[in-house]
Amino acid sequence: MPTPLSEALATLRRRHGEAVIRSGDALGGVEAWPTGLPVLDHRLTPGGLPVGRVSLLAAASGASGRLTLLQALVAVASRERTAVYLDLVGSLDPGFLADLGADLSALLVLRSPSGRWGEGFSMARSLVVAGAPWLAIALPAAGAGSGPAGGSRPRSDLGWEHRLSTLVESVAARRAVCLVSAAAPLPAALGYASSLTLECAADGWEEAHGDVLGLRTHLTVVKSKVSTPGETAALLLRYPRPFAAAEAVGRPAVVDLTATRKVLDVPAVASDIPAVAG
Amino acid sequence: MSLPRVLCARFPHLALVVAWRGHPELRSEPVIVGGAPELRLPVLAASAAARASGVHPGQPLREAQQRCPEAAFVAADEVSVAHLREELLSRLNRLAPVVEVGDEVAWCDLTGRHAAHPDSTGWAVAVARCIQELLDDDDIAVGVASSRQVAEIAARQAGPHHIRRVAPGEEAAFLAPLPLSVLPLEPAVAARLAALGLDCVGAVANLSAADLQRQFGPVGMDLWHQARGGDGRGEWSPGHGLGIPDPPRRLGERILLEGGTGDLEALRFAVHRSALDLGDRLRHHGCRAAAVILVCELEDAEPSGLRITPLQQPGSGAELWPVALELLAGMALTAPVTAVRLEVEGLRPGAGRQVDLWRGGDAAGEEIGGVASRLRARFGQTAVRRAELTVDPGDLPERRFRWIDPVAADAGGEGRGARAAGVATELTAAGGASEGSRGRTSEHRQVTAASGVPAAVMPLLRR
Repeated sequence: MPTPLSEALATLRRRHGEAVIRSGDALGGVEAWPTGLPVLDHRLTPGGLPVGRVSLLAAASGASGRLTLLQALVAVASRERTAVYLDLVGSLDPGFLADLGADLSALLVLRSPSGRWGEGFSMARSLVVAGAPWLAIALPAAGAGSGPAGGSRPRSDLGWEHRLSTLVESVAARRAVCLVSAAAPLPAALGYASSLTLECAADGWEEAHGDVLGLRTHLTVVKSKVSTPGETAALLLRYPRPFAAAEAVGRPAVVDLTATRKVLDVPAVASDIPAVAG
Repeated sequence: MSLPRVLCARFPHLALVVAWRGHPELRSEPVIVGGAPELRLPVLAASAAARASGVHPGQPLREAQQRCPEAAFVAADEVSVAHLREELLSRLNRLAPVVEVGDEVAWCDLTGRHAAHPDSTGWAVAVARCIQELLDDDDIAVGVASSRQVAEIAARQAGPHHIRRVAPGEEAAFLAPLPLSVLPLEPAVAARLAALGLDCVGAVANLSAADLQRQFGPVGMDLWHQARGGDGRGEWSPGHGLGIPDPPRRLGERILLEGGTGDLEALRFAVHRSALDLGDRLRHHGCRAAAVILVCELEDAEPSGLRITPLQQPGSGAELWPVALELLAGMALTAPVTAVRLEVEGLRPGAGRQVDLWRGGDAAGEEIGGVASRLRARFGQTAVRRAELTVDPGDLPERRFRWIDPVAADAGGEGRGARAAGVATELTAAGGASEGSRGRTSEHRQVTAASGVPAAVMPLLRR
């Protein structure tokens, strides 16, 4: 005997198609893009960055390593597919990316001529709709630093939140990977759009013989729509030696300090590097 | 306007003709031009008797000697060949307004009428006789058709001492029974067509342009044109009269506002109506537009217009309307508007391309490259770039890389490079006023509307 609910469901299916109403178990899980960095892939529940979602690398304050981590992941992505880098900070050094092992021929660099976030998001959305599978966005602090000449963000940058929401829709529709690096204070719209927010906090420089080898940083999953938040990891973001692109491919730029508790992959200076707490 | 007529004449290689002039006794013998067989040089030209033994231009001379031991080997006299080419060019220039001369083939534009010849056949005979007299050779084959490509195929089919004339409109019927090898196809494309069981030009011509475009991208569109008797788009040479007319690349809608108006709501309605009508025509053509132009004709003032390269190429009224509205919002009007003109340029097939299972997923690369070109056209050359490490960077970090055009850099092989460059050039050309000067036809419609009436009455306006 038909109930009011079953009749309503039948009407909806008749008007809008079978796909509009599905049971919860038919929705399927979240697909992941493995970063190739065990420290991330083991701790992020989908097994990497979620596909079709926006992931966010946020920093509490100051130097945190979020941009280096973003660029290390861009380098990984560019070796296997076309990657797009929206540089709203205006400070991208392709040489550094090459040192991290990036394939520059597979990397498109976008810069908004006016420095407006909304304009940049629109440009990025066009490429995502065209089929660009991997998008990285480097955002400056919300208050300053995004102008073409390094000045403050233009006052006319109104409505960027709307452009961001259309970008999020396109990322979901085209099953792209989108990773955003943003400094504090985090705009509310950005936090809302993110499905996975990783907070980076610097834990000190890694030095040997007076040289800076890299930055120790703590990574915390502060928000996750695809798994349980709260996971933490300790990383060493090792800066590559300039002009060392060839060897950078074979050596990880991101070292898991939680598991090793010691930098073991630099034998020449290992004895000088103290063990680092996780 | 008369249809284009192109003549193609095929004759023995000029180096061979020069060799025969120096050694008349070799005219019936196998002759190979290029030098002594001991030299590590390629064959430049070979007589029919030598070709029958398997010798062909480009082959090493030593191999040619093995294939045809009885052949006479003659060194190429480049100076005499150049003089002969100049002489042929000057004689043909007296007969046709546009002439191209190669070493084995000559092209003449026979479009229109010649005062001394009653029809194009007599004109073609005159050209053939001119070549025959100069070269003192009967082995001349001539083809006349509406396109360069069909004329060349007709010349090949004609055989020596004959003229093969393809009447206007019969190019497709002429090509239909011929094997696909008569068309200049990439080996991969030819192999794939053969695998699909398409063995003659007519079988390809019966396919739709959208299907071929989905399978082969821009190459598929060229193939579709060629199979129907046209020239490939890449070979089209404007102004020479040796190409076929291009399909419309520009559409327009114009609405007259009687008396002129400054009412923004009335303008908005007129632009909206233009956008919907133009969108319908875009859908009818199955095209998308690379650029949109809005022009407001003003009372007692110069027209005011804006042009935009939309991020998403509109292909329907719903997609065109926001773009037109953005243009209208940016318009600074100083006088009442008497007419609104909405135009779209750079029309391209709207169907997306199917991922090619045989050649990898370069369809996505083409799409991304096209969007990158549009972003550069709209936001400037620095909006989308690709970095490339320099060979000798020196010590300064900023010298380690240089910024390059992503579309040009995307060109992996020679073929892809040409196609990618074609995208960029086409978009650039669409932006200038050169569109009309290149002879491409435009379709414009005009709608008359009364101004100063409320928006609710506007749908009743006469067309």
